[in-house]
Amino acid sequence: MQITRSGLVGLILAALAILVLPMLAGGQWLKIFTSTTAFALAAMGAGFMYARLGMVSLAQVGLMGIGGWVTLRLNHAFNLPFEANLLIGAAMTSVLGMILALPALRMRGLYLALITLMVAGGLEIIFTAYQFPNGGDGFWGVGTSFSATMRRPFLGQTDAGFLRYALVVALLGFLLIEGHRRSASGRAWALIRRSEAAALASGVNVTLYKTWAFGLSGLLAGLGGGVLAGSLGLLDASTFRASESVLLFALVVVGGARFWLGAVITAVLYRVAPGLLNNWGVDADLALVFFGAALLHAVITAPDGLAGQIFGLFSKEAAHDRA
Amino acid sequence: MIALESLTVRFGGLVALDTVSASFTAPVSGIIGPNGAGKTTTMNVISGFLTSAGSVTVDGTDLMRLAPHQRSRWGLRRSFQREQIADDLTVEENLWAIADNLSGSRAEKRANIATALEFTGITAIRTKPGAALNTFERRLCDLARCITGDPRLIMLDEPAGGLTVEETARLGGLIGAIPGLGRAQVLVIDHDVDLIQRICAETLVLDFGRRIAFGPTAAVLADPAVKAAYLGIEVEHA
Ligand SMILES: Nc1ncnc2c1ncn2[C@@H]1O[C@H](COP(=O)(O)OP(=O)(O)OP(=O)(O)O)[C@@H](O)[C@H]1O
Ligand SMILES: [Mg+2]
Repeated sequence: MQITRSGLVGLILAALAILVLPMLAGGQWLKIFTSTTAFALAAMGAGFMYARLGMVSLAQVGLMGIGGWVTLRLNHAFNLPFEANLLIGAAMTSVLGMILALPALRMRGLYLALITLMVAGGLEIIFTAYQFPNGGDGFWGVGTSFSATMRRPFLGQTDAGFLRYALVVALLGFLLIEGHRRSASGRAWALIRRSEAAALASGVNVTLYKTWAFGLSGLLAGLGGGVLAGSLGLLDASTFRASESVLLFALVVVGGARFWLGAVITAVLYRVAPGLLNNWGVDADLALVFFGAALLHAVITAPDGLAGQIFGLFSKEAAHDRA
Repeated sequence: MIALESLTVRFGGLVALDTVSASFTAPVSGIIGPNGAGKTTTMNVISGFLTSAGSVTVDGTDLMRLAPHQRSRWGLRRSFQREQIADDLTVEENLWAIADNLSGSRAEKRANIATALEFTGITAIRTKPGAALNTFERRLCDLARCITGDPRLIMLDEPAGGLTVEETARLGGLIGAIPGLGRAQVLVIDHDVDLIQRICAETLVLDFGRRIAFGPTAAVLADPAVKAAYLGIEVEHA
């Protein structure tokens, strides 16, 4: 398998991040970087759906909530290792993503976006009503004064170790998408994006490949949610509001959905920028104004987002596609 | 043999195809007619994009019973009036996108794709991304896609649209040579009567969704009804 220049840069940076970032960052920053990584996983899912299939998914953060919920629920109910909880959570989110996709399969563009937004709204209501498991009794597992411990992976007991662990999961997520993109699935997706008639005329089972894309995107969101649960130990319904899904998608467009760097930029903007502004004494709500301006910029002049512009600086042809 | 039996398609009040029947036996056949005559609609029925009364049978297989993507696996290929090259994929990957859905080993597919690229003369640009192709290269790539995977029936909807006279001549030569490659029968829609005359032994003429002539191309083009309906409009344009 061929490694492109931007891919090589990505792999080197990922290796550096995995080795160095947990050593450099301290205290609160470890947790911030870990949750940034979790959101980067979700952003990757929304990004590849948008860039490769032209489908807008506005439920990605809500789906993270599903992954987080299942991971927490399993953690408090059984004595399984973290890996099992994380993977089952991701798999269930993936299946849910595919089921939610079914009514959306016949829809395109705005209608598809609206359906996913309704899903995000529904998830917000459920999370707000039932909250996230914290070790309490019953199916919902919510107790008023409970705070049972969240077991972490063997290699990620400390915050630094867990950040490293999260970065490895994110790297695997990137590679999963990249592997798909270069195989028959990626080619089928490219045709579907061109037009469904072209895909059908080429023998592509459009329903299957669209559903699979939803499943893959859900899997990444679920992994992100599980990683977030592992990092924080507790999750709060306000993290997974529908408006957060919309914001994340807007930032996916700003960051650049076609490139690995786009997902990193998206997550940093989403998770780090508001905190930094806060530290500098700027109202965090002002971040939304900046994001809005950046979105306009991306939509009007930079269809490949910030990542596209950055790669464009280094190579004249990279901005084209082969990230 | 491609047998169309009483195809009828309605869009609301508009009858786009009105009990059209025709049996194409020539290796390369044409469908002509003025704008809105129902040519593309006919291809859409054969592709399975539209449901129609009547039947479509090719070499004894009832195509109506297959879903659109299954028809492609069976051996149906088509190009569209507006070419459908995926911009994200290279020329070669555009061909793979069809081969992916067919049975056979990777080595067989690779050899088959190499043949298709060679036949259409685009081997040299096989790693060029779709987005970087010019109009002629796109049409050639579309044709290469259509001959990928030993097809049985190839339908080309205005394959020479947007091409210069020289390019059209080269494309016409390629289309005429397709039957020599394997088992495929070819159906071509085009407004360029010279092209149709050159490569199609049989031609179906449609007007307002009705068949107004069908048979050997020379005889069809000499038919007064065709001259009135189709060529008359050509003269008006000129
Ligand atoms: N999806 C559709 N909905 C409604 N009407 C349609 C649809 N597709 C085609 N038509 C109508 O059916 C008629 C036949 O259209 P068709 O596309 O088959 O014409 P054509 O012979 O291919 O013409 P052209 O040479 O312009 O491509 C036209 O009047 C067209 O407007
Ligand atoms: Mg047409």
